[in-house]
Amino acid sequence: MELRYYIIRRLLLLIPTILGLTVLTFLLMRAFPNYQLVQGYINPHSSIPVSVQMLNAEKALGLNYPPPVQYIYYLKDLFLGNWGQMSTTFYSGPVLRGIEYFFPNTVQLAIFSIILSIIIAIPLGTYIGARPNTAADQAGRVFSLAFYAMPTFWLALILQIILGQDVIYGNPFGIFPIQGSFQPTSINPLHPPSWLINTQLGTVLSSPTHLILIDALIHGDFAVASSAFMSLVLPVVTLTLTLLAGILRFVRAGMVDAASQEYVKTARSKGVPERLVIKRHIRKNALIPTVTVLGLLFASLLGGVVTIEYVFGYPGIGLFGLNAVLQNQIFGVMGTTLIFGLILVMANLIVDVVYALIDPRIRY
Amino acid sequence: MVLRKSMRTPDVVVKKRPRLEDTIYTAKLFFKNRLAFVGFVITMIYFAIAVIDEVYPQWLGVSNLNSMANWVPALSSNVPTAPTLSHGWMYIFGTTQFLVPIFPVMLAALKFDIGYSLLIVTIGALFGLAVGTIAGYFGKIFDEILMRVTDIFFSVPFIVLAFAISYALGRSLNTVIIALIIIWWPIYARLTRGLALSTRSMKYVEAATASGSSGMRNVVVHVIPNVLSPVFVQISLDLGSIVQIFATLYFLSVIQGSQLLPELGNMISRGQTYLPQGIWWPVVIPGIFLLIFTVSINLMGDGLRDVLDPKLRR
Repeated sequence: MELRYYIIRRLLLLIPTILGLTVLTFLLMRAFPNYQLVQGYINPHSSIPVSVQMLNAEKALGLNYPPPVQYIYYLKDLFLGNWGQMSTTFYSGPVLRGIEYFFPNTVQLAIFSIILSIIIAIPLGTYIGARPNTAADQAGRVFSLAFYAMPTFWLALILQIILGQDVIYGNPFGIFPIQGSFQPTSINPLHPPSWLINTQLGTVLSSPTHLILIDALIHGDFAVASSAFMSLVLPVVTLTLTLLAGILRFVRAGMVDAASQEYVKTARSKGVPERLVIKRHIRKNALIPTVTVLGLLFASLLGGVVTIEYVFGYPGIGLFGLNAVLQNQIFGVMGTTLIFGLILVMANLIVDVVYALIDPRIRY
Repeated sequence: MVLRKSMRTPDVVVKKRPRLEDTIYTAKLFFKNRLAFVGFVITMIYFAIAVIDEVYPQWLGVSNLNSMANWVPALSSNVPTAPTLSHGWMYIFGTTQFLVPIFPVMLAALKFDIGYSLLIVTIGALFGLAVGTIAGYFGKIFDEILMRVTDIFFSVPFIVLAFAISYALGRSLNTVIIALIIIWWPIYARLTRGLALSTRSMKYVEAATASGSSGMRNVVVHVIPNVLSPVFVQISLDLGSIVQIFATLYFLSVIQGSQLLPELGNMISRGQTYLPQGIWWPVVIPGIFLLIFTVSINLMGDGLRDVLDPKLRR
């Protein structure tokens, strides 16, 4: 099958998965009685009586119809960008706008960690995978097993203790802030920047990209930018270490597996230098199985994001969703579940296409 | 023409090894792997502590283990005390919130952490095994439905799905357990489905069908025994993950209502509030205790996989 048809087929297969995802979130919603669902739509200060407002909201959400019709209404609302209202101490307003505000922060965290862990894991995995059962290999295996088995929240706390500012008195390594996406003390109080919006809910938003680091650079405020960068270090290191442990395991296993193949023996007997054998024959083939597990690793990355954002008080989509859960905001929970699902589905699609691109033997 | 060796009919009949002898051989292979052996021993110690907790809670100096408050000596101060040997073995790792001694609470926590994780994995594995083998063996529309349903479960990160489902069910300890079972069965369904598919096309299954064996009998007699050992390996690897997820859910305070339950994630979460005062032991020590368990169960699982998978068996 040609690659083009493969991609088209893969895209068509997305439709049932995404529809299934919306069924799941719809079922979540139906676990609650109507009066709880419409709570976010009621304005107690309005002159319209609460009971009338409730009826209006139920009508707008289609809740007075039987469940299959309700589902159609729900799909319609999803497409029109009407993902419901929520109000927490972290964020209040339409769910979709909240996702728009906090999603870039999570993407920033994820991209930094993915790039860092790939840059470290591939050379390191090549090095230890080419020397199985040596001291370096054993050290690498212990490292990856330990970080793989370590709960993310605990790793984050340990890094806070060792590297966090003001956690242990007089710690020379404690230079990184442990809370937030930047430190408010870095703002010049005489000229508060207009691109920072304080939402009065403890979260600070910035425009135009909602990423404080990038926005500060755009506006030339280097004090805020460096503070944002320092705040990013610990969350990124935590996420990188958990991700690195996973990738390293697979790169090493792939290297050992590829090294025992016939073509490696052939290359060696032809007199190809060992460095080139490792680079051209072993590593290239070792990376193919690694790509297949990247989708799984991405899922664990997204799971780790939630915990890391919570421990570091980093305003991303994970903290947004967690606050929705802890403060009983059903539309926030549904929106978060759906957005996490969509990211993961897209990531798996990309992984599959990349896999098909690098390995011409694979066409399902 | 000379037949190749593999094509000749065997002139020596290989004696079938009895099951017990085979098990002993597998165990011998397993214990040869030193890391796996260490993992096995440590895991067994943890399991033993969990069992002792259940049958004889008095060994930790309290009548029941259901609340951290049982260990409170006197509410004289709010600041946890440092690890010391001078107040007896219970205080060897210091105290945490309300001066609760860390060491006995940690030991008591195993009853809940390991007990609930075993419950979740066992029910999830049994359900997944049943659904997966039937879907894999009988195939067709049933198989297609199973694949699509599991796709949906795999398309949301576990933690987020656990949030969402336990939230919809009410955020108590019991609903979180139900949510984790709901999330965990698809892994086993996928695993056993693949194995059932490959077993279905085996010659001996064909032979059984030809001699009049029904489909259900084939599943029970031929497919399930072939599926069991990979499932067992998966269970041992998953126990470590479930303990972690369980602790994480407690840490994030998604589980409401039992904030004094001796549970490792809960302990770390309580201890976290004292970090700014430079008090590290309520966070570090329960974490290391948990880490030792997850590392050793992973070592044991890796070792088991190596001996139970005939392709890796040397």
